[in-house]
Amino acid sequence: MDLTNLLIAYPGIYVVQAFLHSMSAAIIAQRAILAWNIRSPVVRQKFYLIAVFAPVVSYPLYQWLNPDRGSVNFRLGALFDSGRWINVELWNVLPVALLFVLVLAAATAVFLFQELIPILRHRSGPTDPASRTEPAARGSPAALAAEGLADPAPDIQIVEDDDPAIHSVIGRSPAIYLTTGLVRSLQPVELRVAIAHEVAHMRRSRRPLLIVAYVVRVLLFFSAGTLVAFRKAAAEEENICDDWAVEATGRPDALAAVLEKLRHSDAYEIEGHEAGEGLSSIEHMSYDLMVRERIRRLADGESTTATTGDWLKFAVTLASIVILNYYIV
Amino acid sequence: MTVRHVTRQALHVLSFVATMAVVVGLLKVLNWAPGTLEPGLMARYTSIDSAVSTLGIRKVYVPAYFPETLSWPPAVVLAQSKPYQAVVMEFTRARDGQTVLVISQAASTLFEPDAAIRCRTISEKVPLDLRGRKATLEAGVREDRSACSRVEWDEGEIRIVLTMKAPPVQLIRIAESMLH
Repeated sequence: MDLTNLLIAYPGIYVVQAFLHSMSAAIIAQRAILAWNIRSPVVRQKFYLIAVFAPVVSYPLYQWLNPDRGSVNFRLGALFDSGRWINVELWNVLPVALLFVLVLAAATAVFLFQELIPILRHRSGPTDPASRTEPAARGSPAALAAEGLADPAPDIQIVEDDDPAIHSVIGRSPAIYLTTGLVRSLQPVELRVAIAHEVAHMRRSRRPLLIVAYVVRVLLFFSAGTLVAFRKAAAEEENICDDWAVEATGRPDALAAVLEKLRHSDAYEIEGHEAGEGLSSIEHMSYDLMVRERIRRLADGESTTATTGDWLKFAVTLASIVILNYYIV
Repeated sequence: MTVRHVTRQALHVLSFVATMAVVVGLLKVLNWAPGTLEPGLMARYTSIDSAVSTLGIRKVYVPAYFPETLSWPPAVVLAQSKPYQAVVMEFTRARDGQTVLVISQAASTLFEPDAAIRCRTISEKVPLDLRGRKATLEAGVREDRSACSRVEWDEGEIRIVLTMKAPPVQLIRIAESMLH
């Protein structure tokens, strides 16, 4: 069976349509956020999650609604028929089907090396097993900073390391890991708002919606649109946790100062990597861009935990995506 | 609700509509482009002759027997020469213009013919000797409980499928007349 036949058999059609539907959904969600001027990160994240969730069910759902959707007549009247491109050979030597499979392979590689492996490493605890780690002592700056942020109080672990870094782990033993370098470099209020941000992550990690979103992301590992939409949703997750930390502490300036300090530190951590350790400059730049955007939001007072009033815009966007994707076969 | 607020909301709606229009336009252009890069992809033709001459298709199986109730020529002719040869013809009933017979012939078993006629339930599926060819005959009912039938066989590398809104007797006569 050649590549073209593989892509027009049932599993191939699923892959092709999930790919196309995620691309169109990601583009529409992004443009809709701008068009509707959506500010709330919670609502923005929901828009991006449409592009994560919709493509996984769209093809079987559309086929169930209309079994004739794959027929010649429907395809001829469709907005976009993937079959027309899959059969094309550019300059009579380069099959578009091959290019498509290469794009799928690239998206899969990005998923494996930038998402799955780093997350598995991150979940297993501190990245450097040689570092000495011990719980924050009662009355220590970290323990004092965390007081009243969560009930029960979060498990704070101090890692012996001069580089300033902070992250949380979830799972059976959820904890917040801070380096001694971070504790030394931050003011008490900065330390409190940094811990509050991690507490927000730990609280939100228990939300079923986000867990299901990640499962779907894993299922559609080959889809570039899902990759982009999931990363945008993850970036909004940082904004949501920033906003929660600001609400809990009332100090957006302190959080902005923490981000600025971490940005300029040598241990500028990105998803389990450190700058200069096999990290591409593009990835570093995009992460830096995201952190600078977070700092700008905090500085401009855009922080908000309000989520109401945008349901109609969300419904219109969702309906538009569902209808448009129906005509992408 | 102030005038300023309403104006702003209207601008947001317009902006979203414009976004959707651009996306739809872009998809239409992307759908049109392959036809210019690769002539021979599936398209509508005004007649069988036009499809044959444009695509260089060597043989199209056409029935010699044709019930008087059906209109000739076919109301719809769809054809392609790439990635494989395929022709679909839809015939309508003279009385009301309803599609009652679909004939498809394609050099691939993966080809999904036009679904203008779909049997909801198949009550009978039997092998059939069609002038020496091994064919499969299906009989059943459609959504509106009216009779429908389907016959398919391979003519060399071409898979021929006939679907009709009628009991099998008439369909078999039509199919046999294609093999004269």
